[in-house]
Amino acid sequence: MRGVRWNQRVVGATAVGVAAVLASWLGVGTARAATGLSVAAVILVAGLSVISSAELRRNHPVVARAAISVVAVDVSLVVTGFFSSTVDSNLAIGAAMSIVLLGLSFLTGSSGQISIGNGAFMGVGAFTVAVWANHHRTTPIAVVLILAVVAGALVGLLIGLPATRLRGPYLAGMTLAFAVAFGAVLNLFGTWTGGDSGLQLPYAVNAPTWVVHFFRPGTSSLTTNSVWLVDVTIITAGIALFFMANLFASRTGRAMRLVRDNDVAAELVGISLPRARVIAFIVSAAYAALGGGLWTLINNAVTPSTYGFALSITILSLVVIGGIGTIPGALIGGLIYAFAANVIAWFTAHTGLNPQGNVASQLNGIIFGGLLVLTILFAPTGIAGFVRHRWLKWRSR
Amino acid sequence: MSSFLTSRNVADVLNGITNGVIYSLVALSLVLVWRSTRILNFAQGAMAMIATYVGFAALAPSTNYWVSMAVAIVAGLVIGGLTERVIVRGLYGKPEINPVVAMVGFLLVLESVAAAIWSTSSRGLPTPFSMVDWQLNHKPVAMSPFALYEIVTALVVMIVIAALFQYTKLGLRLRAAAIAPEVSRLLGVRVGRMLTLGWMLSSAVGAVTAVLVASNYFTGLTPTAMDGVFAFGFIAAAIGGLDSPVGALLSGISLGIILQFVGDYLNSNAIILVALGMLIVSLMVRPNGVFTRSAQRRV
Repeated sequence: MRGVRWNQRVVGATAVGVAAVLASWLGVGTARAATGLSVAAVILVAGLSVISSAELRRNHPVVARAAISVVAVDVSLVVTGFFSSTVDSNLAIGAAMSIVLLGLSFLTGSSGQISIGNGAFMGVGAFTVAVWANHHRTTPIAVVLILAVVAGALVGLLIGLPATRLRGPYLAGMTLAFAVAFGAVLNLFGTWTGGDSGLQLPYAVNAPTWVVHFFRPGTSSLTTNSVWLVDVTIITAGIALFFMANLFASRTGRAMRLVRDNDVAAELVGISLPRARVIAFIVSAAYAALGGGLWTLINNAVTPSTYGFALSITILSLVVIGGIGTIPGALIGGLIYAFAANVIAWFTAHTGLNPQGNVASQLNGIIFGGLLVLTILFAPTGIAGFVRHRWLKWRSR
Repeated sequence: MSSFLTSRNVADVLNGITNGVIYSLVALSLVLVWRSTRILNFAQGAMAMIATYVGFAALAPSTNYWVSMAVAIVAGLVIGGLTERVIVRGLYGKPEINPVVAMVGFLLVLESVAAAIWSTSSRGLPTPFSMVDWQLNHKPVAMSPFALYEIVTALVVMIVIAALFQYTKLGLRLRAAAIAPEVSRLLGVRVGRMLTLGWMLSSAVGAVTAVLVASNYFTGLTPTAMDGVFAFGFIAAAIGGLDSPVGALLSGISLGIILQFVGDYLNSNAIILVALGMLIVSLMVRPNGVFTRSAQRRV
């Protein structure tokens, strides 16, 4: 399609899509259920035609990134329609984890600071959602999630300020102490946070009626609502992905990478080191809080034991194994997290291990920890970096 | 006089010292590794925990306490040496994030392996001395034979380490390898071996610590028994300065006493928060620790 401008392609794709929607809309009975699929197809075609334009990628990278995020969300949404609800909720948990990983990937990969406390930042978001929802039932979900992000950002600022003066291991140790202290903080405010047993959400998060009518007519409200949370999570992850992709490529993102690679040079070209480091912490904490908030919605409850020290280590290992400092790496990490439990269950079933035994219950930690050590020793760029390296080598042959 | 010895504040100080020497030992074993290899060993607590399991769970329950202790120390030496040779060797000269991540991963592996072999349920350790406080005029003094044993053991370990470094040829080589690796290699010091030895010593100190912790604390020995202790030990080491053994000793004991008062007068949940606050403030005021001469970072 050389010579055709990208906006003409979008118009063309939209026209085809509208025709498809009308065709399914006018169709009889069950054909209406195809409406959702048609809309998805339109978005997919429009998005792909935008992405495929080299001229657009060069001149309007923001539009191209938006198109990539939209296509990713679109495909995920359609795909979830075909899976069982267990797989769907796994995907949602993984998508929320991807958001957290994007944040840590930015902090550690771009600005070079290490955090073993992002599980606690997640907890901040998770408990903000639960506490707020219990006190103000009528607040819309979107607003509650934004509040969680704000709370996370504030805590990130608090932890990020001393981080401006700390380097490497000192910083890692301080964030570790923060992760260990988080449980004590929750206990200290036990009347709000519900102590050891945590909090239940006072309501179930339901899909708005127009969504049900338009996209999934005829399905029972129970499945609609469980799918709805999955959809919300995936869409939120898409928005987070879009912002992070822009942030990585922005002036701030480039400044961060210079701070990581050579802080003296960064200072010489006029970058404020403390400012760059605090911003990285705030962004990372806000992303983690968003992921935690979504977890509360998905589980309809929150318990303090979820947000212990172990979660922070898991987050770090997922980022490193997926590929630190890259966006695909964060998404790979989220996918790994989504299905790790299933893979391990499959493994125990096929090796004849006692599923209730000590070994089977610890496989998760042994495998993740072992992979983390092996990755950092032999492939420090993680899966994303390894694949990219292979791909570039293969192409240059 | 006797009412003074049994008063609340004196009890806090004594209990604080008993906890503090543990933090000092953890801090000391972090300092030993940091000085020689510039790596903060996040798996320190887990390595020590494994050594304790080897000494006290792998042997028959009837084994003498001192035999178990000796086995735990030897296990600590072996674990430290293996860790340095197998994992840490590949991390020298890499970006400073890599060792942190690798040691955190190793921590996760060790804790999971320990739980897989010995389960997560807690086990009590035998104690060689009574843990009941001494009485003075029918009131308890906050000091038991076991607590005294703990303090004395910690001091002995520190004196042995200090003497080793200050007064022996081996100690001189260890220090030389840490301070000027290239020059000492030219002068015939086997630097690689010295680094391994540093890790072995650190890990053995850790093993002694973990044995004391697991027999004293109410939690007993669990795969995660050292997590909290490690956090406080790190805070002590960072406040004292990761380069300073004396700093580790003093800040560990001070931290123990201060936190005991916090727990007694404020709230037990506030302990770790106050510790975190102290860490943040002290690092902001003196990023290299209170007890080290501040050094300019080389560019």
